Amino acid sequence: MQACVESVSDLHFGSALTSRSYVFLLAWICGFITAESVNAEDSFESSIRPFLKYHCIECHSGTAPEGKLDLTAFENRQSLSIGFSVWKEIEQRVATGNMPPKEASSHPSEDDRRAFTHLVRSTRRDEAVRLAGDPGIVMVRRLSNAEYNNTLRDLTGIDLRPAREFPVDPANEAGFDNSGESLAMSPALLTKYLAAAREISNHLILTPSGIAFAPHPVVTDTDRDKYCVQRIVDFYDKQPTDIADYLHAAWKARIAVTSGKGVSLETIAINHRISLRYLTSIFAVLNNPDSESTKNGPLAEVRQRWLDLPNQDESAVRRECESLRNFIVAVRSQLEPKFNMKLKGIHDGAQAFVLWKNRQSASHRRSFLSETLKAIPYDKLPSDIAIALMTPSDDDLRTEFHRDLELFCNLFPDAFFVAERGRDYLGVPKEKQEKGRLLSAGFHSMMGYFRDDQPLCEQILNDNELLELNQLWQELDFVTAAPIRQYQGFLWFERTDHNFLRDAEFDFARPENKDAISAEMVKRLSDLYLEKAKRMSATSDHLQAITDFFHDIDKQIRWVEQSRIHAQKINLDAIERFVVRAYRGGLTSSQLNEIKQYYTSLREIDKLSHEEAIQDLLVCVLMSPEFCYRVDLSLQSAERRPLTDLELANRLSYFLWSSMPDERLLAKASSGRLREPSVLAGEVDRMIRDDRVRGLAIEFGSQWLDFQRFLEHNSVDRLRFPQFTDSLRDSMYQEPIRFLVDLIQQNRSVLSCIDAKHAFVNAELAKHYGIVTEDSRDSSEWQKVSELPNSQRGGLLPMAVFMTQNAPGLRTSPVKRGYWVVRRLLGEHIPPPPPGVPELPVDEARLGDLTLRQTLEKHRQHESCAVCHDRFDSIGLAFESYGPIGEHRIHDLGEKPIDNSAVFPNGNAGNGVDGLREYLLKCRQSDFIENLCRKLLAFALGRTLRLSDDLLIEKMREDLIAEEHRFDAMVKAIVLAPQFLEKRGTNEKETKDGE
Amino acid sequence: MANSAKVSRRVLLQGAGVSMTLPWLQSLPVWGEEPTNGIEAPEFPKRFCVLFMACGVNPDHWWAKPNAEGPNHPMELGKSLAPLEPLTSKLNVINGLFNKNATGVGIHPGQTGNILSGASLKKGAELGGSISVDQLLANRLGSETIQSSLVLGCEQPVTGYHETNFSMAYSSHISWQNATSPVPMEVYPALAFDSLFENRGARRNQSVLDRVGGHASELRRKASLDDRRKLDEYLSSVRDVEQRIEQQRKAQEKAKARVDGNPYAMASMPRPDNGLPEDIRDHMRLMCDIVALAFQTDKTRIATLLLCRDISGLFYPFLDARNAHHSASHNDRSDEFERISRYYCSQFAYLASKLDGMQEGEGTVLDHSCIMFINNMWSGSAHNSQKVPLMTAGGLNGQLKTGRVLDFEQRPDGERKLCSLYMSLMNRMGVNVEKFGDADFPLMDL
Repeated sequence: MQACVESVSDLHFGSALTSRSYVFLLAWICGFITAESVNAEDSFESSIRPFLKYHCIECHSGTAPEGKLDLTAFENRQSLSIGFSVWKEIEQRVATGNMPPKEASSHPSEDDRRAFTHLVRSTRRDEAVRLAGDPGIVMVRRLSNAEYNNTLRDLTGIDLRPAREFPVDPANEAGFDNSGESLAMSPALLTKYLAAAREISNHLILTPSGIAFAPHPVVTDTDRDKYCVQRIVDFYDKQPTDIADYLHAAWKARIAVTSGKGVSLETIAINHRISLRYLTSIFAVLNNPDSESTKNGPLAEVRQRWLDLPNQDESAVRRECESLRNFIVAVRSQLEPKFNMKLKGIHDGAQAFVLWKNRQSASHRRSFLSETLKAIPYDKLPSDIAIALMTPSDDDLRTEFHRDLELFCNLFPDAFFVAERGRDYLGVPKEKQEKGRLLSAGFHSMMGYFRDDQPLCEQILNDNELLELNQLWQELDFVTAAPIRQYQGFLWFERTDHNFLRDAEFDFARPENKDAISAEMVKRLSDLYLEKAKRMSATSDHLQAITDFFHDIDKQIRWVEQSRIHAQKINLDAIERFVVRAYRGGLTSSQLNEIKQYYTSLREIDKLSHEEAIQDLLVCVLMSPEFCYRVDLSLQSAERRPLTDLELANRLSYFLWSSMPDERLLAKASSGRLREPSVLAGEVDRMIRDDRVRGLAIEFGSQWLDFQRFLEHNSVDRLRFPQFTDSLRDSMYQEPIRFLVDLIQQNRSVLSCIDAKHAFVNAELAKHYGIVTEDSRDSSEWQKVSELPNSQRGGLLPMAVFMTQNAPGLRTSPVKRGYWVVRRLLGEHIPPPPPGVPELPVDEARLGDLTLRQTLEKHRQHESCAVCHDRFDSIGLAFESYGPIGEHRIHDLGEKPIDNSAVFPNGNAGNGVDGLREYLLKCRQSDFIENLCRKLLAFALGRTLRLSDDLLIEKMREDLIAEEHRFDAMVKAIVLAPQFLEKRGTNEKETKDGE
Repeated sequence: MANSAKVSRRVLLQGAGVSMTLPWLQSLPVWGEEPTNGIEAPEFPKRFCVLFMACGVNPDHWWAKPNAEGPNHPMELGKSLAPLEPLTSKLNVINGLFNKNATGVGIHPGQTGNILSGASLKKGAELGGSISVDQLLANRLGSETIQSSLVLGCEQPVTGYHETNFSMAYSSHISWQNATSPVPMEVYPALAFDSLFENRGARRNQSVLDRVGGHASELRRKASLDDRRKLDEYLSSVRDVEQRIEQQRKAQEKAKARVDGNPYAMASMPRPDNGLPEDIRDHMRLMCDIVALAFQTDKTRIATLLLCRDISGLFYPFLDARNAHHSASHNDRSDEFERISRYYCSQFAYLASKLDGMQEGEGTVLDHSCIMFINNMWSGSAHNSQKVPLMTAGGLNGQLKTGRVLDFEQRPDGERKLCSLYMSLMNRMGVNVEKFGDADFPLMDL
């Protein structure tokens, strides 16, 4: 009969790992022989060793031992404690009668079998108790790629992920890439670290108050402009300037007053997310009938309409407020004064005149100038607007009308701020001007910014906001050297494109001349410029505008120069604070001094500029071992020592966030109280609710469940499955992460991995799953679906990512899927398949008459195959309702109807994923929990587990059961254990063997 | 760490008065394994340089045509191209190419910022274009040289807005590292020079590594044996990378020693003075010299030199020109602008001749390069970019036939794209691209 078996590549991979680990273990074993426990040694000699000799060693020895397991290496009692995971496997195999195999030459009696397994178990247990709590060896190690990315993100505030260019980190024996066992450094990698540090330094910005990091590189003027301008524009955009919101909120206040409810304006302003300051002004004017209020004019009309708002029906009120707002804006825009200044011989778009015009506009945004009435095109306006602006002929009424307009203009500015300006001097209406010139002064061809936000500052912002905005504008000048560039542009333009400065007397003021921006030269040019303007019969207004221009630009240029010098110390101080954070608490004062010395030597000996020196300091910090390594040094001996508080804070944050500790955690550490169990537990509670816990979900989750590389998964035939796009693949990858983040943050039962009734989907995944979701404006948005229409989804088991990754392309793979469940969720160890097994067809449509199920059944008729495949094939068959990309299906690709029934390893029968859930919960729950505890502990400690961890695993299990399986029970058991709180060095013997 | 090593390195950081370095061929033995005589010579590196002039040329005098007496005779050149007469056999004059995205978008910046990328540019505050051909080449080929590219200019860049609402940054930068950022342009000859010969970036890194290495050694002293193993890994990596940088420097010194007493083999150039040259003639000549030296000594293989920016404010009193560049271009058929056009052509001729005077194997550096002269407009008075003035010199090591006058003006628009030319040149430099800018295929009949 033809044996038809899948050759599962990851089974082979697993075997390679295992064999390596044996070698590793053997190296350790030799180191652990002590003279104690002679009796136990006796029993090893009298019972275990003979058993091995007669029943096992024939196959498990030599150069190519069966299952790559060489039992001759286990020759004394200590080997039970060191090779404990192997011994566990041996004990189970022997206990279940699985080993020795039927074809073996000798078989032990049942008594021998029982005695052997009992002895192995009790010896192991004795050892576990004796060694319990040993922190083991946790080496100094570099940050993993993910930790490096996350740490940089939390340190700089920008998420650059430079490690995407690094080689993939290898995993340790436990399957995690966060241990010193596996994380190595090489010259090639160090070169990448250097490139990454340089990349970060390209994002560094020196500001008047310290340092900052831009989300994009800042190496050219345009980059610096982009950074500073965008921050100001973002600030403007988030300001509450919609008058409708204020009218609406003021109405709320009126209702509150009349109904006698004690709601303060402050509360209303907070609820409406508007400015209390401006709400107070508006409310005072609208709701104060006996003030000097006018009866005639737009403000009077607004007040009346506001007073007429009904007391109920808020949506009608809102509509009326919006219509009132439109009325105000339309009326107000007719009252905006126009300014312009021209002189024949000077370009209309020249800086002095444009700036004069801008200053006039900016300072009159709340003023009423009666001449604006003369320019109103009454016949072109809607009638209500035109009527509202009609001047009464009666003298008294006219006076009152003008007073109303003054109050109206004062309360409602023609603009709170101007965030973009085209070439306003051309006199074309704003809507026809060039768009997108953010914060521009509006010169012809020349660069220059102009701040025009007086009403915003006077009416809307509170003191802190005003301070913030002032700082942003200062930063713009400081970072981009805008005044200097503006002046150089002026020199270029008036000398070449325009010819005002073409005369020989101006030759000294060339933009190429570095000294042209000096105070002396600016003054000289100012004098000559004024002289020439006078000769061109400039008026006193013209001359004043020119004088102001030179005066202002000179002042601004001096400010940039001086504040840049002044800021050098501030920048250096900021770098020092940065180093303190980058070293995560591990900075000594002598190191701090060294940093200052290094700066000085870079400036004075290497002649670097201030900015270059700061950049190199930054690179230095990011290259230093204190940043890119975890350097909690162990002692020289095997003696245990408690971690320092700062070390503990780091351990905690790299466990729960895969990133650096935040300020609060470091503060707790500095206070010396972090070790108190209640404080530590409190921090766990806080940290697992923080968004950064996503680091744990990704790093632990994706390595535990083996989907870390799924974004590179390419074995789906996209011609047959066109719906499998990169974007769907990304959604599949995100699903378990979303699920785990929710599980952790909400502190759910870990059993919900198996039996959850909810799922997280975005629009794409919902479509793939056939789930109808609530309408969501943003299709990339994720939502939790609690009411799943059936049990096809929910929990980890049927997630498309696992179904897809464990299918070869055009068919499913019950073998791989089942193997994934028993290995990843239940922690079983399965030896590799023998070499030379033929492959199944890649397409299930080409299986011939047999279904995949029947083919596998046939294969299991081989006893040697059945030994392992009986343990997972049936579990995989329960997933048959999910196709090669995890889609739900009722026919396979060969058009055969799906049969998802299964007889599970213990003989129970069930159907589909529901049957599997029931089997796992009822019959394998303790396996699942034990495995999860082991995996999480290995991840938390950053090392492979040892026998000495067995009792902690037991405690984690007990705590979980006592706490309704809530996630934090496991975490707290770990962080309060000596393994987590202490560390030790190697004893001499270990060290010697290790070297 | 020896203090003397630190000091000597730092002295070098400050810049020497004169830098001497070896031409590419002579320097080879010390860079790679020492070759013995008779081993086949490695292929010559291919270099690419762009010289940019803005605001058009005098269209009446900017022409070339095949010699009426037959293809074996040198091409005939208009008055403005006369400076190129000695070089006609190594020259291609290519007429009629254009960038579709530089037409119909308004004048000046929109015709300039995409001259080397073919991208459609974005108006308003946010810059948006695409990577330029020189930077794509630099990304692919630049790792083999000290500088991946040289981006030089003889006029300071400006920003601000043009009346077309394009940023003036597009008028100042033809070299773009990606869609949103131009490559910072070096206008100071002294700093451009230093970037080649001091290799400042590498030295700064060396200094950083020196420091972190010393620092980690201290940490190591405090560490237990286990931890030392991990820290040693780090330390040896630091030293290894540091040594690689050091080796490069040593190799340079060794090269220098090899030819002591044989000075004519050395390429040498005094370090230009700090600051901007007062006279634009000196400025342009120095920048051309730096490009030539960089190519000869294989410090870089890619260069762009913006002789003037678009809407240029340069003056040419020595040409008896009263107007600044941009104003003069509005009267582009004038004698004045002819003189200006010819002056720019002479810069191209200067660089080409200089490279042609540099022997490299059987040929010259020019023979292994392609230097391209390009302008953003045909006519400055009409602001016309339906076709642009363009010439190349040098044969790219036999990959590019020269001595030709090529006219694409009558071809359909799809067959006369600048980006097709760039694809052709990239392919011939060994950088294969499926498409570039708006082109899907290389230029036919090049």
